[in-house]
Amino acid sequence: MIALWDGLPAETQDIALVVLLILPALIVGRIVLRGYAPWPLIGALLWRFRWANGLFVLLIAVSVGMGIGLLAQERGLRQGTAAAADKFDLVVTAPGSEITMMLAAVFLQPSDVPLLDGATYAAIAGHENVALAAPLGFGDSFGASPIVGTTAEFAIHLSDGRIEGRMWQDYGEAVVGALTPLQIGDGFIPAHGVGDGAEHDAHGGEELHVVGRMGATGTPWDRAILLPIETVWDVHGLANGHAPEHGEQIGPPFDPAYFPGTPVIIVRANELWANYALRSEFITDRTMAFFPGTVLGNLYRVLGDIRQAISLMTLVTQSLVAASVLLGLFILSNLFQRQLALLRALGAPARFVFAILWSYGAVLLVVGAAFGTVLGMIAATVLSRVISARTDILVSAPIGWSEIHYLAGFISLMTLLSLLPALAAFRKSIVAGLRS
Amino acid sequence: MTMPLSVTDCVVRSDRGRVLLSVPSLELGPGVSLGIRGPSGAGKSTLLYALAGLSDRAEGSIRWGDTELLALSTARRTQFRAAWIGMIFQDFLLFDELGALANASLPAMFAPRSDRSALKTRAGAQLAHLGITALKRTVDSFSGGERQRVAVARALSNDAGILLADEPTASLNRDAADALIADLVAKVRNNGKTLIAVSHDAHLLDSMDQIISLTDGQIETPSGARPA
Repeated sequence: MIALWDGLPAETQDIALVVLLILPALIVGRIVLRGYAPWPLIGALLWRFRWANGLFVLLIAVSVGMGIGLLAQERGLRQGTAAAADKFDLVVTAPGSEITMMLAAVFLQPSDVPLLDGATYAAIAGHENVALAAPLGFGDSFGASPIVGTTAEFAIHLSDGRIEGRMWQDYGEAVVGALTPLQIGDGFIPAHGVGDGAEHDAHGGEELHVVGRMGATGTPWDRAILLPIETVWDVHGLANGHAPEHGEQIGPPFDPAYFPGTPVIIVRANELWANYALRSEFITDRTMAFFPGTVLGNLYRVLGDIRQAISLMTLVTQSLVAASVLLGLFILSNLFQRQLALLRALGAPARFVFAILWSYGAVLLVVGAAFGTVLGMIAATVLSRVISARTDILVSAPIGWSEIHYLAGFISLMTLLSLLPALAAFRKSIVAGLRS
Repeated sequence: MTMPLSVTDCVVRSDRGRVLLSVPSLELGPGVSLGIRGPSGAGKSTLLYALAGLSDRAEGSIRWGDTELLALSTARRTQFRAAWIGMIFQDFLLFDELGALANASLPAMFAPRSDRSALKTRAGAQLAHLGITALKRTVDSFSGGERQRVAVARALSNDAGILLADEPTASLNRDAADALIADLVAKVRNNGKTLIAVSHDAHLLDSMDQIISLTDGQIETPSGARPA
């Protein structure tokens, strides 16, 4: 059975799970309503108490929307951050915290990090399995844009070659991310440091020029300004990575003797399998190597527990809201006690009255859940935009199968629970109801 | 189609055991109309509900034709009511949000599927007989007389042989009440139905074949036969 299930395509599994989850509600509905045609009456009662019902629906919708929005958002964030790390196969840094280094290298979060020297870089860049070894130089900024010194190969790799204008060919030239305010042809003067502490005239006011613009990557790099790393070294008064006789050279190879150091080397292997070998090889007493994807994976695992806790909490909250709505219905049903007694007096079986009460609750639940889905989608979209705007990580949070499963489970659970208040149909004396 | 009623030693008690109604004997031929009068709280409605099989606390014997009502389970009594009894109430008890036809054919919602369309047709015909032509308009816009006519059509929609009416004219003005009495009595007489009506309305009582008076749960006049 399990083997059969595992053999099914993912989409079939998802659909089957939805069906399985919603099945209890459908079966209950079928059994409760069998042989009856109560909908005009249910419609009449729903309309009679439309304001209370509207409020019930709203309560359910908000709680369902929150649950769905949160689930979708969490997944969107996970996918967004994972996508942002996509271009960073292997990161080599000085030993330290993988998370700090990942945040610095992939998400451009400024932090003070030790440097790797020229010999280390040369060893990595010269490795037979390394296709790309890009040093990154951080520390400067222009406005809200961090300035990152690197190689042209890395800029091309990062943007998949989508560069409007051209690649830099000289010291004073820059390529900007899609979200920077600079246009091709604009000039700018880098400030030393990042954010409020940046020193604006520390670099002597040498103006740099934008010559190219990368396509959007959906990562914080969209906000970045990329320069030849030689320029970054140069404006800091350091050697520029090349011997004086090659002083005008831009890009690798670098001369270890004139290499001022780099906090991060982004490595790309020529074969996928080689990444693992490279990682083992570059873990030494002076270097640390990690896959950002794995670090993120570890983070997600920790967050996964939190996510489950949050899902459970939202489910509990939602169930409590739904339960209070059902309690409200139970109280409301006292208001139409006479009508229900009348039905019994006209010869309606107790199960018919039960069906009316249950359907009434089920309609509110289903309508609330439907509105909640829409609310959840809107909430997830708005949150995604806010997060994307704040982090520059492209986050999109469409409703996925897990939300649909969640919804189906919720509807089934609550329609089963709403059998309880409907039991009131059997409890009340008909004569007492007629006289009330 | 209707049937005779035979009540023997019927006692209905309150929750606390107080006797609300005690009827040693009450006989009614098929197709006869009976008026029940008496002061408020005398047990008139209690008797009516007991005859409908609605009372959970009735003891003794209430026999409609060959059916001993009090020996039946709640579910079987409900079935009996659905098949044989139509009920009319003082304040109509219509669903205001539904139209006249939907109200009059309410029992179709829980009737077997095969009976539904016949029931709706009958409800429509009854409404037409009673002069209600606005079938779709919600009944909250109807006058009291019209609403009670819809209720009568509902009571007759299952072609019940027995009509039980609880103060059917009490919420109507005199003209509407008289018109309703005329219609109701004509329906019962022409179709050979049994009508039992609890009422304070002398006009209604005057139109009945027989009248009994209830005081403190006891029948004062066992059978006040009136000239036909």
